[in-house]
Amino acid sequence: MEQTVKPRLFRINTGSCNGCDVEFVATAFVPKFHLDQLGVELVDRIEDANILVITGPMTARSQAFFEEAVSKVKPPYVVVGVGTCSVTTGIFRDSYAIYGPLDKYIDVDVNVAGCPPRPQAIAEAIAQGVKILQSKLLDQPMPTKLETIFTDFEAPESYRGRISLDAQKCTACRTCETVCPSGAIKITKTLEGYEHTIWHNTCCFCGNCSYYCPTGAIFTTNDFHTIQRQEEKYTDTHVALIPFHECEDCGKNFIPATEALIHRSYPKEEVPEMLTKSCPECRKRTTFERCYR
Amino acid sequence: MSERVTIGPFHPELEESVYFKLSANDDKVVTHVDLINGFIHRGMESLVTQKNFMQNLILTERVCSLCSNNHPFAYALAVEKIAGVKVPRRAEALRVVADEVKRAASNLFNLAMLAHLIHHHDLMKETMETRELMQDLKEIIWGNRMDMSANTLTGVKYDLDDEKIDLILKTLETFTPKLASLTEQYEHDEKVVARTVGIGVLPKADALRLGVTGPVARGSGINNDVRVKAPYALYDELKPKVTLRDAGDVHARAMCRLGDITEAVRMIKEVVKNLPEGEIALAKRPHIPAGEATVRVEAPRGELIYYLKTDGTQKPVRMRWKVPTYTNWEALKVMILGSKVSDVTLILNSIDPCISCTER
Amino acid sequence: MNKIHAMTEPLQASLQYAYTLTEDSDNYGNPVLWLKLEDKRDLLNAARVVANLGGRCVTATAYKTEEGHTLIYHLDIDGILLNIEAYTTDHTIDAITPLLPSADWAEREFREMYGIEPVGHPNNERLFLDESLMKGVLNRYIPLSKMMLGVSESDILWERVEKEKRA
Repeated sequence: MEQTVKPRLFRINTGSCNGCDVEFVATAFVPKFHLDQLGVELVDRIEDANILVITGPMTARSQAFFEEAVSKVKPPYVVVGVGTCSVTTGIFRDSYAIYGPLDKYIDVDVNVAGCPPRPQAIAEAIAQGVKILQSKLLDQPMPTKLETIFTDFEAPESYRGRISLDAQKCTACRTCETVCPSGAIKITKTLEGYEHTIWHNTCCFCGNCSYYCPTGAIFTTNDFHTIQRQEEKYTDTHVALIPFHECEDCGKNFIPATEALIHRSYPKEEVPEMLTKSCPECRKRTTFERCYR
Repeated sequence: MSERVTIGPFHPELEESVYFKLSANDDKVVTHVDLINGFIHRGMESLVTQKNFMQNLILTERVCSLCSNNHPFAYALAVEKIAGVKVPRRAEALRVVADEVKRAASNLFNLAMLAHLIHHHDLMKETMETRELMQDLKEIIWGNRMDMSANTLTGVKYDLDDEKIDLILKTLETFTPKLASLTEQYEHDEKVVARTVGIGVLPKADALRLGVTGPVARGSGINNDVRVKAPYALYDELKPKVTLRDAGDVHARAMCRLGDITEAVRMIKEVVKNLPEGEIALAKRPHIPAGEATVRVEAPRGELIYYLKTDGTQKPVRMRWKVPTYTNWEALKVMILGSKVSDVTLILNSIDPCISCTER
Repeated sequence: MNKIHAMTEPLQASLQYAYTLTEDSDNYGNPVLWLKLEDKRDLLNAARVVANLGGRCVTATAYKTEEGHTLIYHLDIDGILLNIEAYTTDHTIDAITPLLPSADWAEREFREMYGIEPVGHPNNERLFLDESLMKGVLNRYIPLSKMMLGVSESDILWERVEKEKRA
């Protein structure tokens, strides 16, 4: 990468579980994560920094110290929010001691969600930060989309990255919404059915949703590319519609049991046809009538 | 003349935010210590009562990323005690594997920070790279380098097949000579010895008075390792041999941690080679009635206790936990008084402080 | 069993008021004792015995009840866990820190989290809570933002996500 300025980095922990901070140390000191390629210098005094790496959900006690500290930084500088907590306060949201997220107190440039993000993602986020810093220095327009800089990073199959949903298998039962500890899943009723939304920026990538999902509809992928500009903070979502079906008997809307769920209930036997065609009310009536005819 | 020195709360040598106010004399020797806490206080004991038992498996894991496995482990033990269920033996074994892998990685991180703080960069890099073997293993088997999400109520979420067992054993084969070399270096390397021996001493009497635990206690000759004193999971059979030192200094504590890693390797090998057959968790989700329980486990930093009170609903009425750093912290004052200002962050690191754990 | 007896005997002898002592164990057979004191004035008597036996305070738990607060001290005597429960209706309890210095933080913490004063505690400083937060936060059960603004941070953030989705 062509460089016009030496990136000088200072890290601030605003109350994190230290996961992001530990992984930052790994990123900075283990050669396989390539941070050395960016020529980043870790500075001792915040006054000397032009890249701020900030972790944590901004605790009550950190806030005043934080504002005092960052007031010493001279523009232009770049702010990289590392970890889900910094982006949305994640799992700690709605506690009396949490004053974040970070963007209430400083203009953020790049976010990287993760709990914690892997060093490869942190390195990529810092690389994007360096690039943005150069654009700021040269008064160039900001990139609208971030092109991946470190293209050779891979993740094992089993890595718990971005969550995805197979709408075909989902019955909108709300298990995932209930077990999600960081409020990353919302299921809302619309005219067409249930809308299932996953907001990656508040996900803590724990996999509780996929572990408890009765049909295997929601699952983790090994995609760790959660690096994005602040402008994308609220739009990085996975939205799926679980459509209503019209009951063949009464015409009312209902969500039929999916094939995956039915096979759990009827592992060996033949599946009664009405399960997918009639609403629960009509099925109840039909069964009742059959018994007492 | 006395000089006032402040360190923190945001400082490159501090992994987590804390604020020191020190007074020092002309020889730069600390004459007064004031520690200001609370930067990582997230009100978690209030949050756990707002979340259900499934959510709390993960919230407890986020207390701290370095002992992230111990929290859901202890929490699950408390729930299981109240629910009156017995965990399958295979799950107990898998809990030990996850915990000891975590212990090894956590201790190596602390040692790497020690090397970093004494500006021994080669040793720091070597320690971090050795730790990467554990990090890679965690990512492949559990899906994350820090938060393993290994525990569930009544068991574990993951299983090991032959291929994974093979991977663990191969990793440990590579790991063992590296660990031996590190142990040798931390024990005898001139630079390490010069900066850590006789530094930050915690006499045994003070250690007893303050109720310290873990490597901080063992470095001062006190063994109160929960795995030995009140064994859980399979530790009664595995019988961990803990390292004891009497010097009570930065060096002694580091060597206790290295000893713990050697033991971790031995126990992981023993467990995965003789993995009991059976289920990894009970098929039925437990009914959690009203009740209360107090349980303990040994985290990398020492004793972790969980108190849980339930009322038959889906959320805890009260949950409290106490981590090793909570009691080890006061010992810092003993260690720092009379030390050089330039040794303060090194001494802080020697209790392997987990501030996020402590302040919750 | 002798080890437990050596503990319970002096403990029972020290108590002046009514109590219940139950012997329990964890799921692995490690003994756990529960001592429920009818009168909080017995706390110091019990703490003195623990100190004499070379025990330490692991931590203390407090929680709110209808009449006041329940306090549970978790103590360790050579690997045996002793829980001592007492209750207070006047926001005070005799501090055990002068007898067991390991209780220092535990008592300071329930002072700031629940507003219970450990009488005779040598240290008056706050532990974790920032000055901007009221003492006794754990006596309440709802997040501060929800109480002050009527909406939680989650509500605010998700509203924005919904808005962007429709845009």
